[in-house]
Amino acid sequence: MPPAITADRLSKTFKVKVRDPGLKGALRALLKPRYRDVHAVRDVTFAIEPGEIVGFLGPNGAGKTTTLKMLAGLLYPTSGRVAVAGFAPWGGGPAFKRRIALVLGNRQQLVWDLPPEETFQLNRAIYDIAEPDYRERLAELVALLDLGDLLQKPVRQLSLGERMKCELAAALLHRPPILFLDEPTLGLDVTAQEAIRRFLTQYRERYGATVLLTSHYMQDVTALASRVLIINRGRLLYDGALAALVARISRTKRIELVLADGVTREVLAGFGDVKEFRFPNAVLEVPREDAATTSARLLAALPVADLSIEDPPIEDVIRAAFAGGIELDEP
Amino acid sequence: MSRAPLWLRRYAALIRNAWLVDLQYRASIVLWLLWGVTEPAVALGIWWGIAGDGQVAGYARADFARYFFALMLVNQLTIAWDSWYLDGWIREGELNFRLARPLHPAHEAVAENIAYKARTAGMIVVVWLVVSLVWPAVRLPLAPGRWALTAAAVLLAAAMRFFISFTTGLLAFWTTRATAIMELHAGVSLFLSGRLAPLALLPPAVAAAAALTWFPYMLAFPVELLTGAAQGRAVVTGFVGQLVWLGVWIAAYHVTWTRGLRRYGAVGG
Ligand SMILES: Nc1ncnc2c1ncn2[C@@H]1O[C@H](COP(=O)(O)OP(=O)(O)O)[C@@H](O)[C@H]1O
Ligand SMILES: [Mg+2]
Repeated sequence: MPPAITADRLSKTFKVKVRDPGLKGALRALLKPRYRDVHAVRDVTFAIEPGEIVGFLGPNGAGKTTTLKMLAGLLYPTSGRVAVAGFAPWGGGPAFKRRIALVLGNRQQLVWDLPPEETFQLNRAIYDIAEPDYRERLAELVALLDLGDLLQKPVRQLSLGERMKCELAAALLHRPPILFLDEPTLGLDVTAQEAIRRFLTQYRERYGATVLLTSHYMQDVTALASRVLIINRGRLLYDGALAALVARISRTKRIELVLADGVTREVLAGFGDVKEFRFPNAVLEVPREDAATTSARLLAALPVADLSIEDPPIEDVIRAAFAGGIELDEP
Repeated sequence: MSRAPLWLRRYAALIRNAWLVDLQYRASIVLWLLWGVTEPAVALGIWWGIAGDGQVAGYARADFARYFFALMLVNQLTIAWDSWYLDGWIREGELNFRLARPLHPAHEAVAENIAYKARTAGMIVVVWLVVSLVWPAVRLPLAPGRWALTAAAVLLAAAMRFFISFTTGLLAFWTTRATAIMELHAGVSLFLSGRLAPLALLPPAVAAAAALTWFPYMLAFPVELLTGAAQGRAVVTGFVGQLVWLGVWIAAYHVTWTRGLRRYGAVGG
């Protein structure tokens, strides 16, 4: 099977009008506008197989939304090529649009003043979904997303999390094989975030949908996707398994200790970098290759009740990657 | 209902939603409607006073009364707020999900128009009928053939005003002043489309200039068709003018839509 989504040296440059402050600046902008190039996406290449769920990670302004908009056909690439479900998204027409769902975090399709069910009915007509299919799918989405009695409440009375759940339902009634989700858990409380993650996992398992999901919540990605794309300042920094990323870029390991009486912070400092010390618990950071020998030395020299060697938290690893302090291999 | 053809079902769903949303904003609809009634009522009051017992350019008091009642109805049936919607969609990012659906966003706008006009024009017809019971001046002679022609002219005028408004709204792809441009258009139409006075009352030079624009065809012509002021050749030129200008505005819409989307997606930029 060909990949569901491919991006080949994809770039997007926005031309932004530069305006100097003051009246003189306004005049100059009017007579002789100057433009600045914003390289939102640069030379990004990846392929996503049918049925994959891929997390698209990066800080604000990294180029995630811009990439999704190019994949969904709203923006035209400045250079490079995209193919989604065998279509060139720009100008893909109705046949293409029936195969995708695009959920953008901020502005959404639920009609604000009406209950969600009215938007669902509208989509039933727009996507030409047969009545029995519609009823079956709606019942399933209601069950999976636990929509219960939300369908008849005006959207403006719903909480953010309830709204996002209904938004997903509206976007999936036509059962698209490819989902583009931009920050679907942004601003939601932990329970709602988990509900959405659980739903996405189940949905993908049932229908083999391909999902590309942006987020800057690490949990979204660790919980959902085994594969991540990491983008920063428009460039793809990493494409691969989450676990491999940690192994590749983190030069350290954490030794987590439970200590017995008499061990002080000063004593521990002789073995490595003390990250936390809250007796009897302590965390040491040591170079990756020294983890085993240091552990052995600790066990021999100190009264240690328990010891484990861990990778640093994924958040720290990725933050370090974004900070640019760590070189990543070209994906 | 589910056996109806696709487009019928789509329009039924779009109109239903527009209607339900409008229901939530009854107060603002009543305000717009009040304005739609007040403006011609004030104009009528002025011309009523000026005409006195005589005539102005062939218009006696009763003619003015019929003219402005017809204007009230035709204006409500042809008015289009689409530039405001589009400007909002474009600037607030609400165009995104509309572009991701397999349905051109213009259909939603057309459905809004149908829902809004059915409600407000219906109210005006009722008001007109009630007033005509007590005020013979505003009664129209029974002329089904003319009413049928008027219906066609109103449809063409509504289509033209829709494309004007939609196209102007699309200017939001380039400027933040799209709605200001629409206001300007409305200001000019006050004089050139017959909203303040029948076009026969314009100074000849202005009337000649107006005839070269789309303004008379978007309002004055269907109004005069309904009152009976347009006869013979004027009916033919009226329809020809409507068709020509509708064609021009559809073409303008096409160019603006494709260019606007390309600019939005910054094709080649
Ligand atoms: N329409 C636009 N015009 C100009 N610059 C834009 C536009 N959209 C996004 N950008 C810029 O492109 C960069 C990437 O933005 P975006 O894709 O929204 O990032 P993310 O979704 O990762 O937060 C940012 O610097 C942003 O300001
Ligand atoms: Mg974003």
